[in-house]
Amino acid sequence: MKLKQIFTNWRVILLLIFLLFSVIAIKPQLLGNEGVTIRSVATNSSAAIAGIENPSSASTPLAKEKIISINGDKVASVEDYYALTSALEINRTARIETDRGIYSVLTKPGVDGSLDLGLNIYPAPSTNLRKGLDLEGGTRVLLRPVEEISDDNLEITISNLKERLNVYGLSDVTVRSASDLSGEQFILIEMAGVTEEEVKELLAKQGKFEAKIGNETVFYGGKEDITYVCRSADCSGIDPRQGCSSLGTGGSGCSFFFAITLSQEAAERQAQQTKDLAIVTDSGESYLSEDLVLFLDDAEVDRLKIGASLKGRATTDIQISGSGTGITEAEAVSNSLQNMKRLQTIIITGSLPVKLEVVKMDTISPTLGKEFLNNVLLVGGLAILAVMAVILLRYRKVKIVIPMALTLISEMVLILGFAALVGWNLDLAAIAGIIIVAGTGVDHLIVITDETIRGEMISDWKQKIKNAMVIVIGAYLTTMSGMIPLIWAGAGLLKGFALTTIAGLSFGVLIARPAYAAIIEILLKE
Amino acid sequence: MKAKIKHIYEHHYKKLLFFPFLLIVLAFAQIIIQYSVTGDFVNKGVSLKGGSIITLDYNQAINVAELGAFLKEKFPLAAISVRTISSAGEITSIAIDSDAQESGEINSLLMAIKDKISADGAVYDEDKFSVETVGSSLGTSFFKQTALALLIAFILMGIVVMIYFRNLVPSLAVILAGFSDILVTLAIFNLTGIKLSTAGIAAFLMLIGYSVDTDILLTTRVLKRQGETMAKIYGAIKTGLTMTLTTLAVVLVALIFVQSEIIKQIMLILFIGLIVDMAMTWIQNVGILRIYLERKNKAKMGLSHK
Repeated sequence: MKLKQIFTNWRVILLLIFLLFSVIAIKPQLLGNEGVTIRSVATNSSAAIAGIENPSSASTPLAKEKIISINGDKVASVEDYYALTSALEINRTARIETDRGIYSVLTKPGVDGSLDLGLNIYPAPSTNLRKGLDLEGGTRVLLRPVEEISDDNLEITISNLKERLNVYGLSDVTVRSASDLSGEQFILIEMAGVTEEEVKELLAKQGKFEAKIGNETVFYGGKEDITYVCRSADCSGIDPRQGCSSLGTGGSGCSFFFAITLSQEAAERQAQQTKDLAIVTDSGESYLSEDLVLFLDDAEVDRLKIGASLKGRATTDIQISGSGTGITEAEAVSNSLQNMKRLQTIIITGSLPVKLEVVKMDTISPTLGKEFLNNVLLVGGLAILAVMAVILLRYRKVKIVIPMALTLISEMVLILGFAALVGWNLDLAAIAGIIIVAGTGVDHLIVITDETIRGEMISDWKQKIKNAMVIVIGAYLTTMSGMIPLIWAGAGLLKGFALTTIAGLSFGVLIARPAYAAIIEILLKE
Repeated sequence: MKAKIKHIYEHHYKKLLFFPFLLIVLAFAQIIIQYSVTGDFVNKGVSLKGGSIITLDYNQAINVAELGAFLKEKFPLAAISVRTISSAGEITSIAIDSDAQESGEINSLLMAIKDKISADGAVYDEDKFSVETVGSSLGTSFFKQTALALLIAFILMGIVVMIYFRNLVPSLAVILAGFSDILVTLAIFNLTGIKLSTAGIAAFLMLIGYSVDTDILLTTRVLKRQGETMAKIYGAIKTGLTMTLTTLAVVLVALIFVQSEIIKQIMLILFIGLIVDMAMTWIQNVGILRIYLERKNKAKMGLSHK
C-alpha cells in the first residue's frame, strides 16, 4: 500500500526518470567491454589509408571505434593487440575487424623501419564517463621556445597556451614551465582526451594572425582588433554555397567559413586602406584592386575580394573561409571543421610572444590508475555503511536508513550521468566536488528527517516539509553563491570543482532530496 | 558534570565567545609567523610551487609500481608520483615527479632511484637519466585570483544570507563562522607540516559548504521558529551534531582506507575543518545570535515601557 503510494508520488517519479536518463548517459557495460578502442589514427598511416577514421574528441568514449580482431584472431586486451601486431609482417595485407566494419590494411614500415599501423589504442572503456589526466593519463608535449625569452614572456606564453587549449575545448590541462640542468627553457603540457595529431598544430603555431591589404596590416588576431568570433552553427561551419567536392587525386575537400566582428578602430584602419584603391571589374562584379589577404604565421591562409561598395567604408563584419581534405567525404568534413576550430582558437587567443617547437610528444600514464578507482569505490561503499551506522544509532529506524542510503546513491548517479552527458573529464577536482555533494547531501537529509519527526505539535505534514526545505534551500542558495565566483577564478582546477559542486547540489536539492522528503512522509505518516 | 557544562553553556555564553575569537587570533598569528619564516602563508606542495621530473629509460627489469612504492616510503613528504611514458604503445621511459627543487634533494632522490634499480638487476647508464625542474602549473597569479574569488564568494554569500534572514547581525555571524572555520583550519593544517596540493585548496573551499549548512540550520531554527531560544538552540545542536558526526564518520573511514595521498589530504582538511566548525557554530555563532536577540528584546521592552 505504502509502496504504491511511494511509486505514484510525482517527486519520486521525477527522480526515477532522471535516474533512468543518467544510467542511459553513463551506459555502463555491466559485463565489461572486451577489445581495444582507437584513440587516434596517424595521418597517411597504413590504417588511415585503409579508411580507419580518426575519432573526433567530441564523440563519447563508447561511441569510438573498437578493434575486435586482427586477421581473424580476437583482440580482447591491449596485450593481445600488441602481440598480434608485432607478429604482422611488412608489406602484407592485414584484415582488421572493428565494430564498424572490416578494413584491409597494407602494412607499412614506420619511421624506425619497424611495422607501424599508425593506430594509438587503449583498453575499451566500460562506461561513457571520461576520465581525466590523473585517472587515465593522456598526451604529454614538451615544447621549446626557438629563442631565449624572459621569465615574463614565458609566463605570458604559458597563460596564452592554457587559454588556447581551453578555448579549443580542453579543460583537463596542465601547462608548466620546465628547465633542464643546463638552464634551457621548456614548456611541458599534459592533457587528457585529445589525439596527438589534433593538438600538434595548435601548440606549435605562434598564432601571428594578420590581415593585410597591399603591404599594410589592417588588423591582427586577438581580442583587441577582433571583438567576436562566431562559433555557433548559424554563422560558422561547412560553407553551404561551396560544400564538399571530390578532388582529382581521389580524396575529398570541403570549405568552411565563419564570421568575425572587427573593433571600430580596426574597421577604420581598413577604411583608410581601401579609400584610395581602384575599382576593377571581374566577370560582371566590381571589386577593389587589392584583396584582403589573411596570414597565419606569415603563410597565406585566405584571400578575400573586397566588394567595390566597401571602398573607404568602415565595415566590422568579415567572413573568413578555409578548407580541409580527407580520403572520404566524412573525413574531409571532420578535418575541415577541425581546421576551422583551430583557426578560430588562434584568432581568439592571439599570438604567442615567441615561436615554439615541439620537442617531444608522447603518451603518459595516469598518476592514479585503476587501483585508485577501485580503492575509491571501496571507500565510497564503506562510507555509505558508516553513514547508515550513524543514522541507525541516532534514529533506530530502518525506514529512515534505507531511503537515505538510496537517495545518496541516486545523487551520485545523477552527477555521474550529467558528467557523462556533457562530456566532463572526471579528475580530482570533480571527485572533490562529488565528495562535497555527498557530504551536504547527508546534512540535508538529516535536516529533512529531523524536521519531520520532531515537534509533534505540528501535525501538518506540508508545514513540516516546508520547514525542512526552508533550511535546505537557504543552505543551497548560500553555497551556490559561494561557488559561482570560483568558476572564474584562475586555474581550471577551481572551475571543475565549482561546476561539479553546482551541478551536483542542484540535482540533489531540486530532485533527489524532495523525493526523499516525500518517501519519509509516506513511510512515517500514521 | 553534564549539568555544569549545561549551566556554563547556557549562562556564560558571552565568556565562551572568548574561545573562538582566541582561536582566530592564534590562527592569524600562526599564518603571519609562517609567512615571515617561509615567505609563504602555507606549505606549498609540488602542484603549487613546482618541483622536478627525473626521467630514465625504461628497462624490463624495472618494476614501476614497486619503484613508486619504494620512493614514496623513503621520501614520504616529497609528493612523489611515478608514471610511464610511452610512444606508439611501447613504454619508453619512466617519469618521476616530485617537489624536489634543491640540487641536494634531487641528488638524494637520484641516488635512491639508482640503488633501487640496480638492486632490481637493471643496468643503468648515467646518460639515460635526465632531470628537469618544473614550475607550478598554476601560474603566479593563481593565489591572488583565488583570494579575490573567495572574497567575492563571501560577499555574495553575505548578500544571499541577508536576503534570506533580513537581519544584518545574524547574517554577518553566518559569514564570520564560515570565514573563521577556513582561517583556523588553515593554521592547524600548517602546523601538521603537510604540503598543500591543489586538491587541498578544493578541500578548503568545501569547508564553505559544510560550514554554511550548520550555520543556516542554526539561524533558521532560532530566527524563523516559534519557541524558547535555548530549546531551539538545543534542537539545532541535535540535528547539527548528527550531521557533523555522520560526516566525521565518513571522513574517518576515508582516512583509514584511502590509499591516495591526495584524497587523504582532502579528508584531513575536512576533519580539522569539521571540528573547528563545531566551535564556530555552536559557540561563536550561538553566542552572537543570543547577544543579538537579547539586545533586540531589550530594545523592544524599552519601547513598550514608554
